[in-house]
Amino acid sequence: MNAPSAASALDFTSVPERIQSEVQRAIQRSIKGVEYIASSGPVPGATPKDIILSRGTMQLYHYRPMADEIYRIPILIVMATTNRGYILDLAPGQSMVEFLLKRGYDVYMLDWTAPKPEEKNLRLDDYVLGFIPECVRAVQQDSGETDINIIGYCAGGMLSTLYASLFTDGPLKNLVCFTTPIDFTQMKLFQNFSDRRYFDVDRLVDSVGNVPAEMIVTSFDMLRPAARAVGQVQLWENIWNDEYVKSYRMMDKWGNDTLPLAGEYFRQMTKDLMWDNKIFNDTMTVGGRKAVLANIKVPILHVVAEHDHIVPYEAARHLIARVGSTDKEEVMLKGGHVSLVAGANAVKRMWPKLDSWLGERSV
Amino acid sequence: MATKDNDPAEMWRTMLGEMEKGFNSFATQTMTSPEFSKVMNQAGGLAAGAQKQFGDMMEKYLVGMNLPSRAQLVNMAERLQAIEGQLSEIKALLYQVHHNSAAPDNRVSVTPKPPRTRRPPSSSGGST
Repeated sequence: MNAPSAASALDFTSVPERIQSEVQRAIQRSIKGVEYIASSGPVPGATPKDIILSRGTMQLYHYRPMADEIYRIPILIVMATTNRGYILDLAPGQSMVEFLLKRGYDVYMLDWTAPKPEEKNLRLDDYVLGFIPECVRAVQQDSGETDINIIGYCAGGMLSTLYASLFTDGPLKNLVCFTTPIDFTQMKLFQNFSDRRYFDVDRLVDSVGNVPAEMIVTSFDMLRPAARAVGQVQLWENIWNDEYVKSYRMMDKWGNDTLPLAGEYFRQMTKDLMWDNKIFNDTMTVGGRKAVLANIKVPILHVVAEHDHIVPYEAARHLIARVGSTDKEEVMLKGGHVSLVAGANAVKRMWPKLDSWLGERSV
Repeated sequence: MATKDNDPAEMWRTMLGEMEKGFNSFATQTMTSPEFSKVMNQAGGLAAGAQKQFGDMMEKYLVGMNLPSRAQLVNMAERLQAIEGQLSEIKALLYQVHHNSAAPDNRVSVTPKPPRTRRPPSSSGGST
């Protein structure tokens, strides 16, 4: 048996080289560490845009086209209600929005701001039957086109799916969902956090009004409790690397920039989805209308992430199986819930797939 | 030369990654138990109630002292940001109008929208 000795395994000839490199990095860490504390960090969401509609928690942006010739059908991106839309527009070269604009799409985004105390009574119905149709009309008016494509991310995908199941006569032409939960029983940790035997959602909502952002951040953090501490260690280790620091700061800012949730919306999500799993069971109603996945007949693409710890594949996989569309596709890509849409993984894998699928259906 | 297998820094990174995985996995196992849910929700319910009561009390106190609350300041900062954004838009529009009026034909023009005639690369036969 020829097992290598510990000395050869560590290769002592490279030790001086390593020490020199580590000393240089240590010096850089000290310098950059001071810079890190003293500077305010990069500004995400800088792709030129106009706000074309704003009502309470809802904001509709139109991004200025970057191509000389654009596809006929405009895209409306529906963001998740807990998060800011700039995750899709982090920085030049790291922006899905910029990518789509450069590939010739006309891009609109339905983004959210923190609901005001007087908006605590907003329900799922207000999002699906109010905000989304209102933005669809505004996009139609602004673009001059009747047809529209919708891209929904996470809870934004869930809202878009409900919209698509109710508005079956158009104007939705194509639907793209990213990591959209359907079977809420498979979101194991969230299920346990909201166990109906112990979680008094009525008491919580009645006492706080809107559910505070801190509570949402904590529940996301609890899914991977060591991630934040390890992230700090990795930041210190890589603080000499400007690109790493820039990327870390943008992601960290976004992660902490979580939005509160309207109280009634949260109550309804907990009771109808986490407890009764109504979308999966085909018993969901929105504004008294039955929202059944089989009613969706438009072409649909569902992109899911292999290592999604927020919406595991088991929770998302039923969407394509249950919709009534004949033109439907599910794509599983490497990465997690966020790296699916932003970061190096997304640039390499997801954005080109999105472009090739959407391009041929947008003329 | 140091490789991935004998580089101490790389070993440290691998160890850190494994530790994170191990801790997350252990914590996940713990958090899926009904006992955890019970304890968490009892503590969370109490904390939320206490936070709300404390917040209300502070709000009254700050009103009495004629001082703004944190929520009001955050709200004001958001509105200021929105105003700043709108000012930038107005500035850009004014610049555009001024630029156009300085042009020889003296016409105010709006940036034309690109035509909606684009075809995907495969159907047009060229790259985009």
